Amino acid sequence: MGLKEVLKPLGAWRQVARRPHTILVPQRQREAAERYRGFHVNDLEKCIGCGTCTAVCPNDAIDMVRVPGIEPKKGDSGFRPRIDYGRCCWCGLCVDSCPTMSLRMTNEYIWIRDVPDDFVYIPGYDIKGFENKEKGYRKEKEHSFTHYHRVPMRELPPEERVETFAEVVLGYAEEEARREADRCVGCGLCIAGCPDRMHIPDYIRAIASGEYERSVNIMYENNPFAELCGKVCTRRCESYCSLGHEGDPVAIRWLKRFATERFSDLKQVIKVKKAEPKDKSIGIIGAGPGGLTAAYYLALRGYRVTVYEAMPEPGGMTMAGIPKYRFPFPSLKKQVDFILSQGVDLKLNYFVDQERFRRLMKEHDAIYIGVGLMKPWTLGVPGEDHPNVIYAIDYLRKVNFNEPVEIGKKVVVIGGGDVAMDAARVSRRFGAEVIIAYRRRKIDMPADHEEIEGAEEEGVEIWEKIIPLRVEDAPEGRVKLVYGKAKMVDQGPGRRPKPVLIEGEEYELVVDRIIVAIGQQADLSFLPPEVAEKIEVERGRIKVNHRQMTSYPGIFAGGDVANRVADAISAIADGLRAVKGIELYLQGSMD
Amino acid sequence: MSKKEVRLFIGPQHPGVTGNMSVEVLLKGDTITWAKTHIGYLHRGFEKLMERRIYIKSFPLVCRICVPEPDTNEENFARALEELGGIDIPERAKWIRTLVLELSRLQMFIMWYGGIAGSMGLSTPVQWGIGDRDYILDLFEELTGGRIYHIYIMPGGVRKDLPEGFEERVLKVMDMIERRLPEYDEIIMENAVVQKRLKGLARIPKEWVDEMGLTGPVARACGFPYDVRKDHPYEAYPYLDFDVITEEGCDAWAMLLVRRREIDLSINLIRQIIDRMPGGEFQVPLPNVLYWRIPPGETYVKSEATRGEFGYYVVSDGSDKPRRVHVNGPSFVHGITLLERLLVGQNIADVAPIMVSLQTCPPEMER
Amino acid sequence: MEILERLRERFEVLEEKVQRDDLIFVGTTGKNLIPMLVYLKEYEGFKTLVMISCVDWIEEGKFQLSYNLWAPKQKKNIIVKVFIDRKQPNFTTIYRIWPQAEVYEREIHEMFGVNFEGNPTQGEELILEDWDDIPPMRRDFDTLKYSMEKFGERAPKSRINIRREISEQYDEWRRK
Repeated sequence: MGLKEVLKPLGAWRQVARRPHTILVPQRQREAAERYRGFHVNDLEKCIGCGTCTAVCPNDAIDMVRVPGIEPKKGDSGFRPRIDYGRCCWCGLCVDSCPTMSLRMTNEYIWIRDVPDDFVYIPGYDIKGFENKEKGYRKEKEHSFTHYHRVPMRELPPEERVETFAEVVLGYAEEEARREADRCVGCGLCIAGCPDRMHIPDYIRAIASGEYERSVNIMYENNPFAELCGKVCTRRCESYCSLGHEGDPVAIRWLKRFATERFSDLKQVIKVKKAEPKDKSIGIIGAGPGGLTAAYYLALRGYRVTVYEAMPEPGGMTMAGIPKYRFPFPSLKKQVDFILSQGVDLKLNYFVDQERFRRLMKEHDAIYIGVGLMKPWTLGVPGEDHPNVIYAIDYLRKVNFNEPVEIGKKVVVIGGGDVAMDAARVSRRFGAEVIIAYRRRKIDMPADHEEIEGAEEEGVEIWEKIIPLRVEDAPEGRVKLVYGKAKMVDQGPGRRPKPVLIEGEEYELVVDRIIVAIGQQADLSFLPPEVAEKIEVERGRIKVNHRQMTSYPGIFAGGDVANRVADAISAIADGLRAVKGIELYLQGSMD
Repeated sequence: MSKKEVRLFIGPQHPGVTGNMSVEVLLKGDTITWAKTHIGYLHRGFEKLMERRIYIKSFPLVCRICVPEPDTNEENFARALEELGGIDIPERAKWIRTLVLELSRLQMFIMWYGGIAGSMGLSTPVQWGIGDRDYILDLFEELTGGRIYHIYIMPGGVRKDLPEGFEERVLKVMDMIERRLPEYDEIIMENAVVQKRLKGLARIPKEWVDEMGLTGPVARACGFPYDVRKDHPYEAYPYLDFDVITEEGCDAWAMLLVRRREIDLSINLIRQIIDRMPGGEFQVPLPNVLYWRIPPGETYVKSEATRGEFGYYVVSDGSDKPRRVHVNGPSFVHGITLLERLLVGQNIADVAPIMVSLQTCPPEMER
Repeated sequence: MEILERLRERFEVLEEKVQRDDLIFVGTTGKNLIPMLVYLKEYEGFKTLVMISCVDWIEEGKFQLSYNLWAPKQKKNIIVKVFIDRKQPNFTTIYRIWPQAEVYEREIHEMFGVNFEGNPTQGEELILEDWDDIPPMRRDFDTLKYSMEKFGERAPKSRINIRREISEQYDEWRRK
């Protein structure tokens, strides 16, 4: 140590001549980096108010609040996140877990106000001036907390499918199901999409954590046909799934199927709480899903319930209409048997006519009509009474009840709904060549897109924009369909285009059978005139109030005969709602 | 306490870069006869908070356990959860993590290098240290989106990939720092004041190292080659080529030399990492973080922070929240047990250089 | 691992787990703890005490004390676990074996209320100041409730439950 060590530090004076590292703020602003985590912005159009940001926020900085001008609707809670920047720590977990990717951060970090409350605001609604900043922290779809890809469902290969009536869908294995269930963020937007308001996030979470019994019990709280729904539900819930906006929705239906299929004896699994027996009896006409749902919950509440069914097996349309490759008979039997074991009396082959209806009204304190739609709509074209023109609904019933049917080598199915798909795919399984003729385009078909894809995979041809004109006899016991083509005429925004016949063109198609599947209607001829005149009917459906009661006090209705949706889950929902209605009615406190 | 002694509180303001803690001393004249460390000025109950949060929500918390060097916490906690949850992370994630850790060590050392001079009243290097550290913070900002709290290392890998051209910019900053270092050396290492005051200051008896569990630069300044990066190689450290730095002086000057050489080592390691950065995925998907349950079990993971061995003891009871997370920072021993003993016999002006030499960090003592 | 065999020969080993190549967990009884720690220190090279930690198993009515040792030569950690009664959390200090244990025990005493007999400083405040409730790291101490009572209006506001809200709204909406 010497003089050198004393003088050396003076070298620091060299810095005097250098340019400083610092910049003068606010004369010069320093822009933050591309992925800087600054103030949030939220695309209010894309945001669905699922609340996942709230759930993941470590500091409780995010609240969900009402925003003027945004009304709640299916798939949108109507809430929007409000961020308290007194609590926010700019971690960006909310951005990384936003299912719709509407929430992001800008690289803006300077914002000066003297009112503390200005730092609590709704990004996107309260305009702060940095909404258009492109830079900032964003979610990368594949590298985030959200799992956008559905675990694929294994299916029979199409070549094998057409050989047999075995179930097409093979179901998830346990690991697959838990992985799929784990994708659910638990926002609950799906609940509003389900007519029956099943507790979807709860049972999915139970599956994800391996508590399958609890999961099935949650389902049975408001749906005694959980397995049926797990196989054939129209699953509108999935179209409101928050993950569906940027990826695949959670496979709610398949998960329900997985959980319910695990248990062969429901009696050991479902924990029912039965109320004290009550001295009231209810008659239910039609043992479809709606009727049996009402019967199940009424029985649990202690009422005496008798179900009258015209067919030799219970299940209604799920027995007679849905092909067995979608919904096998043992599965139906398992569920129906469990319902019957709760003390429901079932009378089969009991067709209720006017005389019997009068008797039921005397015997029972309330009546629930769940007869469904058993009368097919006809084409309304000349020659339709040809013996080779059959109706899909009759055809499917015969197939399901193992009655002999003869369809020949080539058939055309007219219609574009699920019944048309079923009829077509059943015909493929009998070895026929199948054409589906629909008056609109394929994208307009009301059938489930998976059903359409399945049909095509199995070799069904789909012809679009076909309008049948008449049916003629053809040689060798065949039948000729004369049809025209349609063009789609735009009906303005928000309305689906209408098919209009192109005049002057006629085409012919010779097939063995024409299967008509353009819908069904209600047959209410069993109502005695004195009752029928008091029951209001609106466009072919019985009109009911919010408790499913018809305009005739004590007579309730539900299912396809009363709602316009005409699917199993709506029928179940109607049945469940009617239970509450019947209970209130019997207590004399109907609201 | 005789009547000739004075009781004095030093702190809890920062003397140098020691953080908010205070030392209560008894003085006889200018000589300390007894010392006691008081902490609690930064207590935010992190460990308790973590027990009440789902795992992912703890990540914005853990980085706050050591403000200047947050990545060690994130990496440790992430690694503990990966070990308990059975997650294997891709190679690239390991290398990126190592890069982040070394960058974070480097910026801490640079700040410390200025800080030790500051503790002796040389305020120029303090400004330099904080200024040059900002170039590394710029890199962090670009990589992670945050300057101080990165919240970048998460279970399953890292949150984002390296931005385009990031490697070159890192190398540029390394070159810049390397050019600056001789100027630092000139005013710190070759400064008569520093040499006179640090040589022989805070001499640690060698047997204390194992007995008290001293780690990091403190142990290495006593000639013990304790370095978690070598003893328990984690992330990409097993693939890197380096030797443990040791000095024999056992005093504050030796600790300064160790840390000065650590700066060179960090720059060297960062260049190695950039050179050998593998491609591929940087993340494996986690289970749904909102409901992530970790199987029951416990583990202790550790890594080398600038101050020494930083460990996380995580106990899971199978629920979606940890049963217990115990964060064990090196300062707990250095700042309380060791400091209280080292201060005895020193004079009052040397308290700050000793604290900075031991690099006490209160937030990791009181979590 | 051989060390586990040697420990089993000499002490009562209640549980053992090899978590990693360099991390072993060993459970023992309170009586065996100090002899085992001394044995590990003197004969097995575990010269350093890394940390002492406490875990509250409130459901089982137990506190778990974990003594984390480090062997610098073998480069191994061993964590010796011992369970003590939660109602009477009394144990013995080990600060005569390792001086830094004094502070760890002082912290555990403050945060969990475990009493280490013989520890000279355990009653002194380390982190907390004028604490007026049960030891805060115990599982039954509710931080949110405490802050509500202590800081009233500054405590976090109650939050809406999105899922319940959606359902209720849906009810209304359907009735229309």
